[in-house]
Amino acid sequence: MPYKLSQMLDRELKKGSAELLILSLVEDQPRHGYDIGNLIEQRSRGRLRFNVASLYPLLYRLEKRGWILGRWVEKAGQRRRRYYRLTAEGKKVLAAQRHSWQEFVEAINRITGLEHA
Amino acid sequence: MPEWKEEIRKRLSRNNLAPAQEAEIVEELAQHLDDVFEQARRSGATEAEAKRAALQELAGDDLLHREIRRSQKPAGEAPVAGGSGKSNALADLLHDLRYAARLQRKNPGFTIVAVIALALGIGANTAIFSVVNTVLLRPLSYKDPERLVMVWEDATRHGYPRDTPAAANYIDWRDQNQVFEGMAAIADTSFNFTGAGDPERLEGRRVSANLFPLLGVEPQIGRVFTAAEDQPGAQRVVLLSYGLWQRRFGGDPGIVGKALTLNGESYTVVGVMPARFQFPSSDDEAWVPIAFTQQEAASRGRHYLEVLARLKPGVTLAQAQSEMTTIAARLQQQYPQNNADLGATVQPLQEHVVGDIRPALLILLGAVGLVLLIACANVANLLLARAAVRQKEIAVRVALGARRGRLIRQFLTESVLLSTLGGIVGLAIAYGGLILLKAFIPENISQAREISIDLKVLGFTFLISVLTGLIFGLAPAIQAARFNQIETLKEGGRDAATGGSGKRLRSLLVMAEVAISLVLLIGAGLLINSFLRLRNVDPGFRADNLLTMKVVLPEPKYEELERRSTFYTDVIRRVESVAGVRSAAVTTNLPLYRQGNSISIVIEGRPAPPPGQELIVVTRVISPGYFDTMSIPLLKGRPLTDQDTSTSPSVIVISETMARRFWPGEEAIGKRIAPGRVRSPEDWIQVVGVVKDVRQFELNADPRPQMYLSYRQADFFAPRDLVVKTDVDPASMAATVRKAVWEVDKDQPVSNIRTMEEILADSIARQRFSMLLLAIFAAVALVLAGVGIYGVMSYSVAQRTHEIGIRMALGAQTTAVLKLAVGYGLKLVIAGIVIGLVAAFALTRVMSTLLFGVTATDPTTFTLISLLLIAVAALASYIPARRATRVNPIIALRYE
Repeated sequence: MPYKLSQMLDRELKKGSAELLILSLVEDQPRHGYDIGNLIEQRSRGRLRFNVASLYPLLYRLEKRGWILGRWVEKAGQRRRRYYRLTAEGKKVLAAQRHSWQEFVEAINRITGLEHA
Repeated sequence: MPEWKEEIRKRLSRNNLAPAQEAEIVEELAQHLDDVFEQARRSGATEAEAKRAALQELAGDDLLHREIRRSQKPAGEAPVAGGSGKSNALADLLHDLRYAARLQRKNPGFTIVAVIALALGIGANTAIFSVVNTVLLRPLSYKDPERLVMVWEDATRHGYPRDTPAAANYIDWRDQNQVFEGMAAIADTSFNFTGAGDPERLEGRRVSANLFPLLGVEPQIGRVFTAAEDQPGAQRVVLLSYGLWQRRFGGDPGIVGKALTLNGESYTVVGVMPARFQFPSSDDEAWVPIAFTQQEAASRGRHYLEVLARLKPGVTLAQAQSEMTTIAARLQQQYPQNNADLGATVQPLQEHVVGDIRPALLILLGAVGLVLLIACANVANLLLARAAVRQKEIAVRVALGARRGRLIRQFLTESVLLSTLGGIVGLAIAYGGLILLKAFIPENISQAREISIDLKVLGFTFLISVLTGLIFGLAPAIQAARFNQIETLKEGGRDAATGGSGKRLRSLLVMAEVAISLVLLIGAGLLINSFLRLRNVDPGFRADNLLTMKVVLPEPKYEELERRSTFYTDVIRRVESVAGVRSAAVTTNLPLYRQGNSISIVIEGRPAPPPGQELIVVTRVISPGYFDTMSIPLLKGRPLTDQDTSTSPSVIVISETMARRFWPGEEAIGKRIAPGRVRSPEDWIQVVGVVKDVRQFELNADPRPQMYLSYRQADFFAPRDLVVKTDVDPASMAATVRKAVWEVDKDQPVSNIRTMEEILADSIARQRFSMLLLAIFAAVALVLAGVGIYGVMSYSVAQRTHEIGIRMALGAQTTAVLKLAVGYGLKLVIAGIVIGLVAAFALTRVMSTLLFGVTATDPTTFTLISLLLIAVAALASYIPARRATRVNPIIALRYE
């Protein structure tokens, strides 16, 4: 992907989709911040990256809204870490956001003709 | 391993977090940096490189601080979804405003249509309010104007509920009352100003010396009159208006003490009034002391004064009125001959100055209010349609926890933003409208020149803008907040507002628009109807090709009748010899201009009528050519001729109304009357002819009894107006005719040169003003309502494209489909018309004082206007319906 486009995607899409990404990642199992950041980077093959200064404030914000819940967990032989899991309300929000995201993507595809490309 | 905690704490220091919370964040972030560091080391980085990679995660000095601060804010990124319970009103408002502004920018078409509709409504309101503000609300520019009143004679029995008082009555009032601080008398006068360039006619007043202190005004330079100057035989002094001082004396600061010649006498200038001063009329250019002569001060028969008074502090209008009623009753007892049935009435000065424009202005204000309501309904409809499109946005917000109140607030912010934009554009419209308005406002509204947009008007505009936004925004907001969320999500974004309550609301709005515009249109229709009838009233003379001018003879120079007669005879002969002049005549008063003289008469062979039942006759002293010049037809007998002179028996020509009223069923010609009382047999005047009625005062008042005397025989009134019938455009003859007058007397002022058609038009200027404005507002209302109906029908047809497609595919005829769509529109419109008719029936009654020749419930107007509205509505429904039937059924079916 050309550098410019990647920058743009990084900036614009990240802004719009970060919440959705985080909610999705903690849907199945609780995860700690480092884990979430790594997964986003890996699964996007390096195209999406959050640094500490933006990732954690976002987590706190989602927590504050009651969509995720963070809890310190100590596992044998490890330092204690803060794990985030999806709340019931977060599940509803995730469903709604997924739905509208899908529609958005479909709409964009329909217009830009990407699905035939 | 490097220590990160200091780095992190440094960045968080400005966030002022609770210590426990800060410790947690620092711990969590430090761990993350540890992980990054270790990861980097594992993949072969040096310790320094790994440390740099970890610190890069903190991205400069500021980002973390800012992001954490944002995450602590309650409303945060998604304001409407913020369901935490706590909220920051100001932050919400700012956010809502930003969001609303973005939304407007995204839909420029929608925004433009809405803003134009609102701007028309708000602009019309602002313009009319600035007139109302200046004319009705702004206090007069005198000291404590609320304590100033006019006092009139109440001669209701004679048809003059507010008659100008006689001097003797005024003096009794002044000396006997306990309620007024002071009372001043004012009398109309005019001066022939000579000896300094062209002779000029000046309008002026004789006033009591205390008038100016009573009003609380000071002269610009010099002084006002002293009590000693307000005595008969005192030295002649004059106060000049600022305009006259500038115009004729170049603002000479040494004018005080100089002498000037008025009516052939020398007057000393004692002062100049300020530029803004006017009382009672802005035409006045000179004031002299009234200085009643003994004969004048004893007169109860000549009613010609205006009386101003100032209430003592604490005295109410009602107390003053009751005191004056008592005094008037006493005078009735004392002077039954003159004062029988004569009361006294007190009127606030403000009311007197504003005059009878008040009801018209209030009705116009009501009318523009209705126009604004229609604009509101239109924009509400647009917003409803848009709210339908935005259902999904709302669904997501509600799903994310937005509360109803918060949603309503967001919608209201949007509508108020729209209406404020409308207000700004409306101000521009009002500004332009005022320039037009000033061109049409009748000249006799004295404050017309001062009409402007001041702070009060701006405040009014702001207030109605916000109110408007709240009114038209509320329905869509509630509608949007009430819709069924589950339903919308299930329908996958199908428009919830198409069915059920949304459609009902839009239908209601259309009905309201139709009803309101019907009321306005009927109001305008009634006024137009009245105006046309008024213009078609036969004034009793022909106004075309008539030139008029004032030629007022100065009394000292032309005291004797013979001299006056010679002057007029010469002038008429001279003017008639000018090429292009068909005939010329003089009269004491032109019709429809100023009130003019009326006198009471006795009829030979009948007892003098008891006091209070005098026979009052409008009296005109004319030259014999007057009837021909004015084309007033002679019905019976003979006109006045040049043979009726001071040596021949006195004769009069009377109007048909006078003949019918005073000699019903009898032959009037040959009968004799006398003005006032009969002192000698020579006082009797014989009726020799009957002419058609002339509307002397107002077109919309029934003609009163009138009589005409020859200027060679009548000593008591001197003609003042010259009227000339021309073969060509009368205005083009003005200079030549004036020159002809000056050939007779080079010092004779000629003023007020106007065509008779102008006078006729001016006499109905007030009606034209109301009619024109209401017609404009009604037209705006009709257009707005038409656009509104069109919008709703377009929308409803678009929603039914699918259904129409099926019908067409199944073989429905185009006409059947058209009928279906137009029928729906017409059903709404007819419901609206029924409501509107009921409302109009109730509301147009307030207009009855403005109407002429039609009743407030004129069935023709009501029917025609209803039909007009139905036609417009049918057209507005037909166009979108027609478009729908042209759609290819295949496409329509696919259209989801």
